Amino acid sequence: MVSGNLKQLRELVFASDNNACFIERERCLARLEKEFAGDTAPDKHARILSTLLSEVSTPVLDCDYFGGRVVEALPDEGMTAPNLLLMSKGHMNPDYEGILRVGLFGVLEKIQKNAAKKATPEALQFARNAEIVVNAVKKYTDRYAKEAKRCGKTEMARALSVVPCGPAYDFYSALQSIWIIHMIASCYVGSRDYAFHLFDRYMLPYYEQALREGRSEAELTELLAGFFMKTNEICGRAAHNYKQKPVRSQSSKQYVNIGGERPNAFSHTVLNAAVMNKMAQPQITVRLKPDADTAFTDHVFAAMSVLKERLHIYNYDLILSMLQRRGIPEKTAKRFCFSACCSFDLDYYTYRREFFVPGPQLLVKLLHEKEYHDTDTLLRDLSEAMRREMQGYADERQNGVPSMRPMFVFDNLLLPAAADLCEAPCDGNAPHSVINMFCPGIATLGDSLMVLDKLIFTEKRYTFAEFVQILDQNYVGHEALRAEILAMDRFGNDTENDRYAVLVGNAFLDAVDRLALKKNFHAIPGFYSLERDNVWREEVAATPDGRLAGTPFSENQSPTYGADKSGITALLCSLAKLPFARTATGGLNLTFAHDVSPDTLKALLLSYFKMGGLHASICIVNKDTLRDAMVHPEKYKTLTVRMYGFSEYFISLPEWQQLAIINRTAY
Amino acid sequence: MNGTIFNIQRFCTNDGPGIRTTVFFKGCPLSCLWCHNPESQRGEREILFYKEKCSGCGRCKEMTVEDTDFLCYNDAKRICGKSVTVTEVLEEVLKDRLFYENSGGGLTLSGGEPLAQPAFAAALLKGAKEAGLHTAIETCGFTSERVIREIAPVVDLFLFDFKETNPTLHKQFTGVDNARILENLRLLDSINKESILRCPIIPGCNDRPEHYEGICRLANELRHLRQIEIEPYHSLGEGKYAALGKPAAHFDRFTDEQVQEIIQTIQNGTAAPVKKA
Repeated sequence: MVSGNLKQLRELVFASDNNACFIERERCLARLEKEFAGDTAPDKHARILSTLLSEVSTPVLDCDYFGGRVVEALPDEGMTAPNLLLMSKGHMNPDYEGILRVGLFGVLEKIQKNAAKKATPEALQFARNAEIVVNAVKKYTDRYAKEAKRCGKTEMARALSVVPCGPAYDFYSALQSIWIIHMIASCYVGSRDYAFHLFDRYMLPYYEQALREGRSEAELTELLAGFFMKTNEICGRAAHNYKQKPVRSQSSKQYVNIGGERPNAFSHTVLNAAVMNKMAQPQITVRLKPDADTAFTDHVFAAMSVLKERLHIYNYDLILSMLQRRGIPEKTAKRFCFSACCSFDLDYYTYRREFFVPGPQLLVKLLHEKEYHDTDTLLRDLSEAMRREMQGYADERQNGVPSMRPMFVFDNLLLPAAADLCEAPCDGNAPHSVINMFCPGIATLGDSLMVLDKLIFTEKRYTFAEFVQILDQNYVGHEALRAEILAMDRFGNDTENDRYAVLVGNAFLDAVDRLALKKNFHAIPGFYSLERDNVWREEVAATPDGRLAGTPFSENQSPTYGADKSGITALLCSLAKLPFARTATGGLNLTFAHDVSPDTLKALLLSYFKMGGLHASICIVNKDTLRDAMVHPEKYKTLTVRMYGFSEYFISLPEWQQLAIINRTAY
Repeated sequence: MNGTIFNIQRFCTNDGPGIRTTVFFKGCPLSCLWCHNPESQRGEREILFYKEKCSGCGRCKEMTVEDTDFLCYNDAKRICGKSVTVTEVLEEVLKDRLFYENSGGGLTLSGGEPLAQPAFAAALLKGAKEAGLHTAIETCGFTSERVIREIAPVVDLFLFDFKETNPTLHKQFTGVDNARILENLRLLDSINKESILRCPIIPGCNDRPEHYEGICRLANELRHLRQIEIEPYHSLGEGKYAALGKPAAHFDRFTDEQVQEIIQTIQNGTAAPVKKA
């Protein structure tokens, strides 16, 4: 049952203009850009944020569950939105647990104490900036509280007069606190992909208190759905990297992490509220123990069958044991989470980054540098080439000074490491700095190795030089050879040939293990391709697996589209052979042509996890519906599909991407 | 022991409970007008040719039905029918054991008509039972009493076709009378074997109130019937007729509303659950 308010909020999201910006922010920053020109004071950005928060309006609508709304309008003539005078890095899990407990004033107090102890000019300046920002937030929320009171919103007014600067005192004020922080970080400072950390854990006490105080489960679920709905207000419906909305939080993917060691009563409420919200945001990341209690597992798969690509699952046990094998203490390891679809985060004490190893490009390069006669030598060279790329990236991060530091004005309050050290956590001094090391195109690489091994190294059908020439000619004149290659049992059919993808996977993971990293740096590997086709596809020449130059290579952990012909259980058996036990991230998108029952989903995916599978997300693709949506987009405003690791609105995608989704293998 | 099959399909969710692997037997004693697996009717190997997929490469010029290893790169030409051993089939079937365990699934024999190769079917089912799998068989029921009695102990669930109530029309639609089929079904029920009635409903053939009543009467006399599954006609098999060079019979298709109406009509006459297959 969805209440009228929730419906109204949903309609407002779909009525909003994807070309609109946060107009008050833009106008204010455009003016401040001139006023602050030449200002090099170290508190410049704190003062800019303070001025901005003192000027923006505080709208409250009748249907609003929580206070915190940003005014939108088309950019003024000549305006380049979004203004980058203020911006942040985002892509992190703020420490909401701590903030709800002590409030931003509590965080400030800690910073001031630590700065006094450190007594360096930088630490003292850091504390002064924090003070400016926290006071600005307090004045802003006081104004908001007054407006809420004027509109007759008593609970909202009371909460906003206390949080987020003061500690949360109940379920409602906790959600209100999180929302205001999330909104300022995303919309006013400006960045995307702030995740909600281990939401069902730190919200549990507030939930239990609310039940004790007599609030009903239905009421709390609706409040939470109202909170979830707000995450859609700030990101627009345009697709990431295709058709951007002119705001810094455009297409922000906002993840709620739940589950883990002990799912609780509130984990169920989160699932119910997510089903009630049923919007593209936020996305639910479930850290699922394969032998978790049946009630929770059943609920997860029931929710997945409704939410589809908006909920995805990670194998908790597999990741935990991998982290412990890498020497990460159990207590820290158990708090792992994700700040984006596949971006691994080691608790909120970290600052995390991502690097994509250009695997297919490296393979093509190697084939042109040297004549190979066996797979072992090729794998060794590929592994070393991958290591060099990753080491180069890691060294820049370990030794360099990040350019984002001066503008990192608000996020600094959200990570405990920053408060402890009195410096921006992206300086790499956090207790844990995570670099997600991704290997895209695992199936393309594995299948390529298979073809080289069978046709060139073993059968010697062509000399190595002849075959490289065929690749350079993009198979022109060799169409029959290409047809033969494409008809081979490639990765994904549960055959002996899967071992080639496993070999490449291990070559990549060996390279990660050989990286020279400082003690607080962790390279967390995974098979994930993100923007393989809109960023890289044109860079990659034809590959030995029959892939033509300029066409996409394989997606995430999946086989090349169309290569898997033996059914979904065969696909999962193939995938489970990949060395996931050495990874902690990366995604698998399973596409179905029809709705799948929760029981079938549960049987499929729990079996997969028990075989060693790492991740799963599902997408239901009715090809007729998608084709109709291409012709009549106006009828399909709410249709979402799973991209590489997140949901997008289908009608926002460019035509070639829409066709790629239609061409996925569907079961 | 060898048998002739034309497909092993993993992840079947409509051929019995849970996630199943279905083995399709080649050869059938019936020749239903609406058959959607025309390549399953003859017991011998056949060549299917999908003209629209052919690139004209000519590799198959010399190919015969004996060249079972031939692989057309464009999937335009396929040999339908392969001789396999019980061990080979079980090896493939057991790959999904974990999925069966977690879903209550198992092995289903289908076709064609599995009981047209009774010894092979029995050996396969026996092997599956010994491996601890749930077994099901989709059958038209047109076989001897002896075969039914022999196979029954190794089958957990019979997916039993009931195509037409009127014996004369049954012969007209399928080529055989339904008396022996009904006797076999009653025999299975009398020895406490569970069954699901599978009823294809074909526009212009058996979409008649008398047949719906016949389904209900039959369902109501069976003590071990789990449910009735209605299979409305679909045209997915038409492309295969063309690939075999056979003429396909054309039937209209029901709308979703019409299917719901049929299900409701039958449900009104029986306590057994009626569902769309």
